[in-house]
Amino acid sequence: MKPIVVSAALAGLTLGAAQAQTMPAEITEPVTITWYNYNLASAGNGADATRHLIDLFEAAHPNIHVEGVPVPPQNITTRVQADLVAGQQVDLVQVTFNALGFAAEALGAHALEDIVPAAELAANFEGMVQNGLDLGRIDGRTYALAYTFSTPVLYYNADIFRQVGLDPENPPQTWAQIAEAGRVIRDHSDHIPLASGMFGPSAGDWLMQGVLRSNNGGVINADRTAMTFADPASLEAVQMLRDLAQEGILVNLDVTSQLESMAAGNAAMYLQTSAVQGYLIRGAEGNYDLRATTMPGFGDLRPRPNNSGSGLAIFSQDPARQRAAWELMKFVTSNEGYTIITRDIGYLPLRMAVVESPEYLAGWVSEHPLLQPNLQQLSYLEPWTPMPGPNYVQIATTMMDAIEMAVFGDNDDVAGILTAAQTQTQGLLP
Amino acid sequence: MTDTALQAPARPVAFRLRFGTGWQRPLGHGLMILLSLLSVFPIYWMILTSLRPENEILSTRIWPDAATLDNYAYALSAIPMLRMLVNTFVVSAVVTAIQILTGILAGYGFSRWRFRGASLLMGAVALTWLVPLQVVMIPNYLLVARLGMIDTLGALILPHTASAFAILLLVQAMRSFPSEVYEAARMDGANHAHILWHIVVPNLRGTIASLAILVFISTWNEYFWPLLLTRSAQNSVVQIGLQMFITAEGTQWGPLMAASTLASLPILAIYLVLQRQVIASFMKSGLR
Amino acid sequence: MSLASVAPRHGPNRWSRLNRLVRPYLYILPAIATFVIWIYEPLARAFVLSFQQWNLMPTAPRRWVGLENYENILALPRFWQALENTGLYLLGLLPMAVLLPLAIAIFTQDLSGRTRNLYRALIFVPMIVPPVVAAAVWRWMLDPHNGIVNGAIGALGGDPVRFLSDPHLALWTITFITGWKLMGFSTLVLSAANASIDGSLIEAARLDGASTWEIVRDIRLPLLSPAILLLVLMVILLGAQWSFSYIHVLTEGGPLGSTTNIYYLLWQFGFGSLSVGWSSASAVILFVGFSLIAALLFWLKAKLSFHDD
Repeated sequence: MKPIVVSAALAGLTLGAAQAQTMPAEITEPVTITWYNYNLASAGNGADATRHLIDLFEAAHPNIHVEGVPVPPQNITTRVQADLVAGQQVDLVQVTFNALGFAAEALGAHALEDIVPAAELAANFEGMVQNGLDLGRIDGRTYALAYTFSTPVLYYNADIFRQVGLDPENPPQTWAQIAEAGRVIRDHSDHIPLASGMFGPSAGDWLMQGVLRSNNGGVINADRTAMTFADPASLEAVQMLRDLAQEGILVNLDVTSQLESMAAGNAAMYLQTSAVQGYLIRGAEGNYDLRATTMPGFGDLRPRPNNSGSGLAIFSQDPARQRAAWELMKFVTSNEGYTIITRDIGYLPLRMAVVESPEYLAGWVSEHPLLQPNLQQLSYLEPWTPMPGPNYVQIATTMMDAIEMAVFGDNDDVAGILTAAQTQTQGLLP
Repeated sequence: MTDTALQAPARPVAFRLRFGTGWQRPLGHGLMILLSLLSVFPIYWMILTSLRPENEILSTRIWPDAATLDNYAYALSAIPMLRMLVNTFVVSAVVTAIQILTGILAGYGFSRWRFRGASLLMGAVALTWLVPLQVVMIPNYLLVARLGMIDTLGALILPHTASAFAILLLVQAMRSFPSEVYEAARMDGANHAHILWHIVVPNLRGTIASLAILVFISTWNEYFWPLLLTRSAQNSVVQIGLQMFITAEGTQWGPLMAASTLASLPILAIYLVLQRQVIASFMKSGLR
Repeated sequence: MSLASVAPRHGPNRWSRLNRLVRPYLYILPAIATFVIWIYEPLARAFVLSFQQWNLMPTAPRRWVGLENYENILALPRFWQALENTGLYLLGLLPMAVLLPLAIAIFTQDLSGRTRNLYRALIFVPMIVPPVVAAAVWRWMLDPHNGIVNGAIGALGGDPVRFLSDPHLALWTITFITGWKLMGFSTLVLSAANASIDGSLIEAARLDGASTWEIVRDIRLPLLSPAILLLVLMVILLGAQWSFSYIHVLTEGGPLGSTTNIYYLLWQFGFGSLSVGWSSASAVILFVGFSLIAALLFWLKAKLSFHDD
């Protein structure tokens, strides 16, 4: 390590810690904060809407200047880490939920309860969906507010459904129904019966968590001390996926191929995040009838989807900048903020007023039926549990490699594969 | 030059005389045409896609049905494309010039003298290939931060002031340079700087031009280091710009292909200009 | 190259002796300094970090863990598969990145200037396409449903081939795309070397009645051998890195890890997440592993050229 950087950063940290409770009530001097944001790192709606949000915010808070730092989502944690080490100023960060644990435990993201006056915090949480707030909590403390997040939905091509004699008005709601429909599609067309975003490094474990949990299994236990993806209920769910794969219903495609197969009308069903909705709509326009339904469940059990996407976390050490970052966070998660995020980028609002009140998006929502399954799932959405400790990425990768092998591999010993990987990942827990 | 012009067509004649039937030639041409098509088709596809309207983007038809410049207009407005192209050009040109300069100096040092530690140092040069870029990136980032150079073009250039490929290629070229020429120049009282810049370098300009093309392209296509340094699109390079059209929520193929076409043209131009140097150098060696 | 012994004209005074002593080092100094500052110093630090668990944060504890990072990497179920795949990639790349370009360089050398340049320029075109775009275009062309390659296969009566999602084929598909992109590079390097061969040698041989093949075998190939060796060395040592972009964009290492090579695996587990212990140990493993291979290659090269004499 470079000694100079270390001591400077250390000094900053101790100073910050001592004054953590003294966030000023308002910003009186001009201040600049950084916002590490991945929507800014792409061209198009996301970046435009984000810049629009920043402009609106700056107009309302003339003393605060926001410097947007564009970083692609897969690099954002790395970049924040590098910048913290390099002594760069990091204030507000759009953290992907898989890295939330790491951001809180290792990188020093603040729990809002520690820096924001309690009354103010409670007032701001007013009107937010309760289990939406839980998405950003670890052990009961709020490290992030869900910002651009989405839920898993089952897209389907109604034209293919009709073509093979299935009823597009009654799409599959359970995995057994998916298997049934899949067989019909497989036997009566050349289309891919079921594509899914469950596998592949860029997916991580987010979709798999919900699938296993829907069978009352899971990938890790509640206090994040033991891996559970080889336990009986999880095993049963993986075995079910293997059966689908063996029957030629579930097809193993990389993330871009899946998306393009569905967009081009080559796939009949596609289980994926609602975040890809805009892309699919553009592909379907004038080509086929794109529909969506909620994530499938197991038998009579209610499905238990979890979110994908990102939340906002505050890293500032300086009280004035903490206040500025908090103001920005409040603004973008307000009714106005979520209106822009939902309408212009295509994510979900954490405040139901946005979709219920005609003042905001009630009219718009009724014109966009594809959003319905998404909104429906909001009421029973569960958090995407981040893997704990410094090896969080390696744990998820090793686990998903094993599950992919168990579902698509030549080896029928699903239990053996999962158990071996469970033992190995257990060793990587802190 | 006239000599060479006369000389060039003479060879195929000699060739044909020797292989009476000449069946190998059509075969060779057939293979070359096939390989050329294989090489060019994807770039044709890139340009074709860049001209397609949005609802035709995923079409796989070989001919365009309707052409539009919308994707270009969008690409130029969605990201600071021209600014990025200029940045990339500056960085690539400077890196190319510096790498060739340090390569020529090191090449001369290694090929001209035997000195203590030469093979060890040569090994150290070659081994830099084996150091994964990603492991040195963070320490380098911290160094750049200490120098106060984050978000500057200088930071994109600094770590690239020498390359193992340039050095190895030039050492090899200089070693095969006839030593009598050195000797004669020394007898005439020329010093090393003179020999290097007035005798060695002009004779190696074909190699140097090829090298320049390759260094330029690899700098042009670099992604990971600029990615770490980017704090604003204005001070970034074109590969970062291209990636802005590729997101987890789907790729904007039309604008991506339009931006890629724009990003490929300068390289093609550089290739065509420098390729002349390669040819010229061949003509020269043909005369010798 | 024994010119260093040429006697200095102004007599052996101290200055010129010192001058002669340091001169070679001065010439290579700029390059070496770059490498020390930007590569070797960080590498040395990575070596130390590979025995620690730390996230670089000044406030975080820095724990010595001995060989744990190495053990974790070697215990990865995909490690040996990735190693084997790395070998397969090299096997596939050598013909496309060395043999074919060699044939192209030699064949085109004998053509008239215009045809030669046209062919070489066309073969070079893949080099100018950004890697992500090259990958995307090939994905479309190879698509099982409506790619033109499968269209052609279908027209000939064959079943659609899943070039990128069949675990037995995906690796070779990626090898092909990597090789396709490299062809122009190798052709350029070999053409430059070929062009600098003294034309009079060839003319003389021709006048002596040597056939084209004899000229290639006895003159061109031996004179091209340093360039060929350089390319072989590059393919073996850098092939894993070159395939990276295409693996990353086209298959992400799948299906079932069948396209994961060692570089991609270590990127996934180390560099991709800035876990300093994992990535430092990964770097050391790659560096030491490939250095041994490089040493072996140099030893072989020395042995082979000894036999030549």
